[in-house]
Order: sequence, then C-alpha cells, then structure tokens
Amino acid sequence: MSQIGEVAGILRKLYDEYRTTTPKKLKLIDAYLVYVMLTGIIQFAYCLLVGTFPFNSFLSGFISTVGCFVLAASLRIQLNKANRSTFNVTPERAFADFVFAHIILHLVVMNFIG
Amino acid sequence: MTSTSLMMIILVILPFYSWCATPTVAANLSPANIDGLKAQFQTAMKSFSDVASIHYTLAGIKELGVVPPDTYCNDIKKLVDKSDVESIFHATEAARALANCKLPAEEYRALLTSTLQSDKSTTAEVYYAVRASVNLGLNVDESRVEKRLNALAKTDDSVASQGYALLTGAQLSQPIAKFYADTINDLVQQADEVDGRTLQYEGGVGTTALLVNAFYEVAEKAGVPVKIDPKQLIKFASYFSTKRHVATLRSAYYLTKVFKYLSDRKNTIPVVVSRTTPAAVSAQNPSVFVSVSNLFGQPVGEIFVVAESAKRKEDGAVVISKQKLTAKDSTSSIFELPFYDAKIPRGFYTIHLTLTPRGDEKLIGLTDNTIEVKVTSEAALENAELNVADRDSTAQAKTHKLTYPNALSEKLDLHSHQKLIIKFQVKDKRTGEYVRTQQAFIRFTNKKSKKEIIYLAEAVSGATAQYKAEMDLTSNAADFRYQSGAYDLVVIVGDSLLQNAFEWKVNDNVQLTFHEDSLADKNHQDLYLPRPEIIHQFRVEEKRPPTIVSLVFSGLTLLPLLILLVSWLRLGFNLSGMPLGLSPLVFHASHGAAFALMFVYWKYLDMFQTIRYLALISIPLFLAGHRVLAILAARREKKV
Repeated sequence: MSQIGEVAGILRKLYDEYRTTTPKKLKLIDAYLVYVMLTGIIQFAYCLLVGTFPFNSFLSGFISTVGCFVLAASLRIQLNKANRSTFNVTPERAFADFVFAHIILHLVVMNFIG
Repeated sequence: MTSTSLMMIILVILPFYSWCATPTVAANLSPANIDGLKAQFQTAMKSFSDVASIHYTLAGIKELGVVPPDTYCNDIKKLVDKSDVESIFHATEAARALANCKLPAEEYRALLTSTLQSDKSTTAEVYYAVRASVNLGLNVDESRVEKRLNALAKTDDSVASQGYALLTGAQLSQPIAKFYADTINDLVQQADEVDGRTLQYEGGVGTTALLVNAFYEVAEKAGVPVKIDPKQLIKFASYFSTKRHVATLRSAYYLTKVFKYLSDRKNTIPVVVSRTTPAAVSAQNPSVFVSVSNLFGQPVGEIFVVAESAKRKEDGAVVISKQKLTAKDSTSSIFELPFYDAKIPRGFYTIHLTLTPRGDEKLIGLTDNTIEVKVTSEAALENAELNVADRDSTAQAKTHKLTYPNALSEKLDLHSHQKLIIKFQVKDKRTGEYVRTQQAFIRFTNKKSKKEIIYLAEAVSGATAQYKAEMDLTSNAADFRYQSGAYDLVVIVGDSLLQNAFEWKVNDNVQLTFHEDSLADKNHQDLYLPRPEIIHQFRVEEKRPPTIVSLVFSGLTLLPLLILLVSWLRLGFNLSGMPLGLSPLVFHASHGAAFALMFVYWKYLDMFQTIRYLALISIPLFLAGHRVLAILAARREKKV
C-alpha cells in the first residue's frame, strides 16, 4: 500500500519538475509526441479488432505514426539546450532536417497506403 | 617381351579376336515382292494420266515378263508434250516397250537437237535428249555430248547428276561408256550407310534404284563387269530387299530393273536365305525348311548349305555344329534341317548357315545368314489340387484332387473366414521335367456381372516348380468389391515355348460369401461423353469490417488531433513569433503545396509524376525555408 503511495509521490514530483524546468518549445513538441502516440495506438487497436486486411494500409498508417514520432523525438533531442555539447547543430538546421525527413516519410507512406 | 612383339600382338591378335567376338548381325535378305510390283503396274495400266506413268508401267511390266498390248500407243501419242524433252523421253521409252509403236521422229528432232546444243540444259535433260534420239533412231553428236557432260560434271556434282551422266554414257560409244564405268566406284563411295547394314542415296528408293541401275547399264555397254565391292553390293541389296511397297511408279520401275540386274547370272548375285516353315519346331513339325534363291525368287544353281551352329538365346548353348542340310529338290532351292531331337531342349534358337556354291558362281551373301526358330514341347497339368482352408488354422484343409480337364463337380461354399488354395505343376511331356511358365493365373468370374478377378499363381523355386495361387476371403475381399454370389473358377496356363495352353474350368459354382456389404461396381467414366461444366470461381474477397466500424475508428484517429490543439493552446502556442514577408509566405505556401501533392499522389498520380512535382516544389521550399530559418537564426542571435 505504501509502495503505491511512494510511486504516486515520485510521479507527482516528476510532473512538477517537468512543468517548471522544461522550456515551452520542448513542451509543445512533447504534446505533439503524445498526439502521435495516441494516433498510433488507436490504429493498432483497430487492426487488432478487425484483422489485417488491407495489410499495406495498416502498415503505412502505423509506420507513419512511428516515423513522425521518431522524427519529432530527434528534433526534441536536438533542440534541447542541455544537449548542446553532444550535438553541434543549430536549431534551424534541426528543423530543416525535420521538414526534409518528413517530406520523404510522407512520400513513402503515401506510396504504400494503396 | 620386346615392343615389336607386343605390337604384333596388339595389331594382329586383337583385331582378330574382336572380329571373332563381334556378334554377326543377321543381315538376311528377303526375296523381292515381285507380285506386289506386278500388281502395282497392272493397277496403273487401268488408266493413265501422264506419259511418265505410261513409260514406267509399260516398261516395268515388260521387265516382269508381261508384254503390254499395242493399244497404249494411242495413249502415248495423246499424252506426250512435244515441247518438253522429258515428256518426249518418256514417250519414246514407253513406245519401245510396245511391240509396234512408231512415234513421229521429225516432230521432236528440233527440240532434241536444241537441247543437246544448249549450254543451259541439265544433266537429266541431256540424258533425256540422248536416249530419246537413240530410241527414235536420230543421230547424236557424241563429241558434243561428251563435252557438255564434262562441263556439267564441273558445275553440278550432285549424285543424281552423276547418275544421269552415267546413263547418258551408256547410250554413247563404248570407250565413253568405259570411261564412265570407271567412275562407278567413286559414286558408290558417295552413298550413305545406315546402321552399317544398308547403303542408300539421298532421295529415297527411286533415286537409289536409278543410280544402281545406271551402274549396270553403263558397265554393260562398256563390256566390263560392275566393279563394286561385294560388301557394299550386299548393303545395296539389303536396302532394296527391305522395300516391300514403293509409293511411285518411278520407284517401282527402277526397283524392278535393279532386281533383274541383281538376279542376272552375268552379274554378281546376292543370295537370299529364308525359312519357309513356321518358327515353332515341334513333334508335328520336326524339321526346319530353308529356301535359297536370288532376289527374284529363282534358284541359284547347285549349292551346299551347312548349319554352322545353333545357339540358344537364353544361355548361348550350342546344340548343333557343322551339320549339312539336305537338298529336297533337284534345283537346290529347298533344304531341310531336322531339328526336333531329344538332345535339343526347349528354347529360342538362332541357326547360322553358310552356303558354298558348287561352281564358280558369282554369288555373294553366302555367310552371315541366320534363321530364328523356337523349339516347343507339349505340356501337361499334373498334381492339381484345390484346398479350402480356414484362415487361421491351416490344419483343417479340405482337399479336392483335380485332374485336367475334368472340372470339380461339387459346389464350393466359401465364407469370410476361409481361403482357397490351388496347386498344380506343369510337366514337359518330352523331357518329363516340371517347368515354369510365363503365364499361370486363376480367374474368378462373377456370374451375374461377368466381372473378372485374376490372381497370379507363383511357383516355389527349385526343381519341383509347384505353382500355388491363394485367395483369402477377408484380405482379398476388396478385390471382389465384397459382392457375394456365384463365381466361375478357371485356371490359365500359357507360355511361348509350350505348344498347348490351358484354360481349365475348375468349377462353375463357387459361392463366395463376404462379411461386409457389397459395393457397387466402379462406374468407369465414359471418356467421350461431355464432362460436367466448370464454372469459373472468382477469387472470394476478404472479409472486411462493416463500414460503420471503420468510420468510427477514422473518427477516433482524428480525436487525438483535438487533444493536441487543446494542449498546445494550454501550453501557450502562438504565432506571435512568425516572421512576415515574402520568404515566409513562399515557405509556408510551398510546404503546404508539398502536402497537397501527397494527397494528390494518393488519389491520382504515380510515383514518377510525383517525384517530378516534388522536385519542382522543393526548390522554392528550400530556398524560402533557408531564408526563413536564417531570419530566425539572426533573431535568436540578436536576443542572445
């Protein structure tokens, strides 16, 4: 019983710290990540429910969510000032890469969606 | 051992051994089908459609000894084509076959002369012109013809052309004929050998016969014997003797002429050896009769025939050696060899015969003649018995002794726990030993449906060779399709070396009762009736969820978007920092255009077009984007 109380306490602390220390830009991206994840989960649930028939469409949609998630996550990493030492890339460059990668991802997804 | 003696061994003994060891392939000639040729000519004589047929038929039948009536002279005159040298040739040849048929020579003279003088005539045309001129009694300029033939020999070296040259040479003076007679050997070398047994020329029997006929004609005119190696002559003869039926009259005519030349006492004659009695030698036919003749079926003079050996096919055992055959008539054309003897066991035999002529006849084909016979014997079925036993315990067997040809009179009743066994032995009456046969079966015939079920009788190994056939009513019931009822039982024994075969009805009322229910006979599909129609089955579509479900989920997928917008607003998302101006505008426009292109790609375009449009859009996109980002970067720098 107390363990659950401990876990709840830790989570609350995590949430508070998150709210205060994370810059707004990153929070926006986090919201976007949650959105993409939810979309992916719903798609997967649908596939589990009704079967995989047109399998290419399911894959296309799912991989679209996964790809978006990955790209957004990498953008977040690159924009995080705490990581400035590891990545030597300007935020603008990161964003440009983000856009470029997205165009290619969408091209592939559209091709596969059938 | 020195190398020279080793060489001697290899060069002398080895070939000698291999020659001895080579199995002599039977190269027997058979007599020509003279009656067939005669019938062919006589059928053709009923109506003629062209002058070539008249030529071949009348000349052919004259060779066979029948003189055609002169009425055909009118046919010849009607059918001849005065403008064709070949037609004139056929006409003159046909007229020659009749006793009294004169053709108007003057009408043809001009064409014949012009053919002989022309530089464009072929060897065949030269021959036709020369022969026709000779037939009509016209003069022929021999030196001119000779020159023309020499010129043709250089340009046309086909076998047919050479043959016609020989035939033309035979029409000219003797020295010219002799020159051509010397080329016979060259021509023979150009023949094709088939299987090492026959020689022929390209073009079939007609061309080959024409060429061989040419050899004899030109040699006859030259006054020299035909110089062909006997081995090759035999191969030619072999080829001709296999032609029992020929399709065209031309082939029939030349074949007849060749057979006549090959049977003429002046020439080398191939000898034909054939068996005149049936192949089976038994107590009723104890001897093998052999006929010796030429290709025409006529006797060849006094000759001695010796059976060198008779080898059994199974094991190569030699049963007779160097036995003389006795001549049955004065003309030495039928010989007898007694073959049915206690010392000669049953089997298939190959008898090798050698012939020796008395005089110095020019005969060839005297060795390598073989006759195939089979020695059969009468057989008897002995010690036959029928056992009815219980499946499980063989002790309780009821035995019925059987004697061929008597049937078992009592009714047999068999139930599913029983089995039927038939045993018998086959004895060779001559030697008294028990033999194995090629066929030994028992057959059940369903009396109602007439269906037959046959079982093999197998012999135990050993000298007794007892045959046993078994039918078990439980394990073999499926063969009968479980149909209980009355059946006939027959024993069948046969062999190619037995004179008599057996089909012995052992019992005609065998009641079989099977345990299971009977199955109907299989309905064997009648192959030639229409089959059931095949209706094409399209691929069944995969099951999809109802539309409502998919629409609901599409809606659900868009739900997180709302959540995103709400959370962004909550977080303070605003567009206040967005730069305004041309570049941002272009950037956002081209960015939007790229995504619009994605939608259009999904609906209408293919990859190549999309890539092209994308390339087009990406240029302003990158330029404008670079600009915008530069502005933002500068802004950030300023802030810091």
